[in-house]
Amino acid sequence: MHRYILRRLLLLIPVMLGVSFIVFTMMYFTPGDPAVMMLGESAPEHEVARLREELGLDDPYLVQYARYVKNAVVHQDIGQSYKTKRLVFTEISSRFPNTLKLAGLGVLVAVILGVPTGIISATKQYSLFDNIAMVLALIGVSMPNFWQGLLLIIFFSIKLGWFPSSGFDTFSHMVLPALTLGTSSAAIITRMTRSSMLEVIRQDYIRTARAKGQVESVVINQHALKNALIPVITVIGLQFGYLLGGAVLTESIFSITGVGRLMVDSIKSRDYPIVQGGVLFIAITFSVVNLCVDILYAFVDPRIKSQYK
Amino acid sequence: MLKNKKLLVLLSLVLAFAMFAVGCSKPADQGNVDDPAPVAKDTLVVGQGADAVSLDPHATNDQPSSRVSKQIYETLVNQNEAMELQPGLAESWTQIDDLTVEFKLKQGVKFHNGEELKASDVKFTLERALQSSHVGHIVGTIDKVEVVDEYTVRVSTAEPFAALLAHLAHTATGILNEKAVTDGGEAYGQKPVGTGPYKFSNWVVGDKIELVKNDDYHGTPAKIQNIVIRNISDNTTRTIELESGGIDIAYDIQPTDVKRVEENTSLTLLRDANLATTYIGFNAAKAPFNDVRVRQAINYAVDTDSIVEAVYQGVGAPSKGPLGPNVWASNQNLEQYGYDVDKAKALLAEAGYENGFKTSIWTNDNQQRMDIAEIVQNQLKAVNIEAEVKVVEWGAYLEGTAAGEHDMFILGWVTVTADPDYGLYALFHSSQHGNAGNRTFYANPEVDKLLDEARVATDVAAREEAYKKAQEIIRNDAPWIFTWDGENLAGTAKNVKGFKQHPAGHHKLFTVYFE
Repeated sequence: MHRYILRRLLLLIPVMLGVSFIVFTMMYFTPGDPAVMMLGESAPEHEVARLREELGLDDPYLVQYARYVKNAVVHQDIGQSYKTKRLVFTEISSRFPNTLKLAGLGVLVAVILGVPTGIISATKQYSLFDNIAMVLALIGVSMPNFWQGLLLIIFFSIKLGWFPSSGFDTFSHMVLPALTLGTSSAAIITRMTRSSMLEVIRQDYIRTARAKGQVESVVINQHALKNALIPVITVIGLQFGYLLGGAVLTESIFSITGVGRLMVDSIKSRDYPIVQGGVLFIAITFSVVNLCVDILYAFVDPRIKSQYK
Repeated sequence: MLKNKKLLVLLSLVLAFAMFAVGCSKPADQGNVDDPAPVAKDTLVVGQGADAVSLDPHATNDQPSSRVSKQIYETLVNQNEAMELQPGLAESWTQIDDLTVEFKLKQGVKFHNGEELKASDVKFTLERALQSSHVGHIVGTIDKVEVVDEYTVRVSTAEPFAALLAHLAHTATGILNEKAVTDGGEAYGQKPVGTGPYKFSNWVVGDKIELVKNDDYHGTPAKIQNIVIRNISDNTTRTIELESGGIDIAYDIQPTDVKRVEENTSLTLLRDANLATTYIGFNAAKAPFNDVRVRQAINYAVDTDSIVEAVYQGVGAPSKGPLGPNVWASNQNLEQYGYDVDKAKALLAEAGYENGFKTSIWTNDNQQRMDIAEIVQNQLKAVNIEAEVKVVEWGAYLEGTAAGEHDMFILGWVTVTADPDYGLYALFHSSQHGNAGNRTFYANPEVDKLLDEARVATDVAAREEAYKKAQEIIRNDAPWIFTWDGENLAGTAKNVKGFKQHPAGHHKLFTVYFE
């Protein structure tokens, strides 16, 4: 198991190199000069040239990339923002706690809503509850986050005055964004739990358990659920990883300073170092979340553990 | 065992509920309902659409940063809300000769770090600004800064430059303290030191900037103890935050939200003409737009009144010429082209395009500009011009229009100094083609001559005349469809008093108080 984890962590190195190269290439060939973006539409030519030189943008493409990798590996320095001159690491790490909280709470809401609903829907297939749950799930998946966020703000912030409409300082600030994010993920988790459970409860060992006279709740919770959980955990992991990359729209609607908004702003202003650092960061968190999910499998299903060598 | 499990579940539930209750309760500083007397509000919360980039005035030239810097720094001279020049850190100034102005500094002015303001700080600031790629062009005409004595400084230009004082009122020329800048090093932009009525206190990057009243301020002290300037990028959210009481002032209310704010009895909407103009430019270096008749025809074929009504919901006004009414020497006697399809058709026929032609309208992904593009596209059909709307991402847009790849394009300009030199030279002088500002590639030797003359003229009346004449020629040459003169829209809570909008957009907050 340890060797497996170590191997997976080592695999991160080529992933990071690959990701950084692709992002660097894409940003380099995207039209739009960072110097012009920073100086605005009225910048005289000589000032653009001066800034390009300051930022080292006149060097050939591979020289710039090699310098980036060298600084990252030798000096553990992934550069500073063109725009604010702050370190890329500082810019990202100062925003990450908000993103982590938002993603964590979003997934929590999703799991609390999604897993039980999925289980009940599966065990009472085609019942009224199942039908309502599936319709709601469909709405949840289809409803755009920004619209749902605005509806929640109008109802809970303006009409009822229960929760603030923007900011991210206290728990009350987090309720609406977490609900916005959580409900759409919940819909996906509900559907996944339901279909996975449906598959499991039709298997022979469940019939055997029932034949033994086992109480239904034990059959579902102890025999079926554990086996049905593997795909559900995968989906939860993917959702969490995805949300850690920044839920841009939710962050914008609720004015949350998270990684997603930083990335979008930086792409718009061609702040290459931040985009580069941000994508690397997202790649790492996504890989780590995936690894955690794989490790979690082993605890849920001991048969999988034996495959981790 | 089972009992323990139940207990654990119960405890967890209680804990979760307690956390929720604590989280939902209002923060302590919002006052307790049991308090006998309510504490006077001493924090003004302002919402704007982006976080500041840097509070080093030479490291950036963006509006959100200027709006914060305005409270921290002071310039040698000020422009008030009527754009009139007033003493700032310089209590008086004298024009020594055509090239030199001598400034007498106010004495006893302290920077936020306790240092006293000296002429050497002015020299340091202006020379540093000249080296900046962000704001160098604002002070670019300055040739020499000379310290006469501790409180006297002379600023010289290489050739006469009439707009010098207006440029020295720009927030980018806020006077810095040499020691603070040197001590601050690379991080100076995150711990600014000025002489202004507010001192920098804290910056939660991407979220908010906190300022605190400067008790040693040399002028009229600020009325509110603390200011929080929040970054609320979503326009709707910013208005909602104002409605729900989360902020006291919201900058840049959108035209679509005007009615909502106006109708809300607990809010006040401020509307003031600003220095911005939006235009639809032609690439005059390219056929068919190299023919003035085609450009004029399209001016007649586009109904700018309907654009202002539909896109800006009546906010602002259709432009008459290249300069808005707030800019000094703006020629408001120019005749608006007006909507006249027959005239447009006649001009096109004269130019040999009676059957129209195919073209494109470039815009960035700004919703209002995209709407304008669609309206223009539709209106041009009446004169057989088939225009394709191309929405181009901002970076690519600036690059493409600077390189002259476009046909028609939509862009804006803010004449921040309110001096016509700023609003005409970069946009219409033939030396400024491309990135520098003249993206229409318009060239007219007569306009060049007038702009050059007015730039160096010291006689006010002569300058005014030259600029008015230049505007008239530009209006007739029609390198633009003169579209929209903007308006600043801000919403405030009813109890916010003393707030006035500055046409350039960087509003003073030190005159604001709560009623």
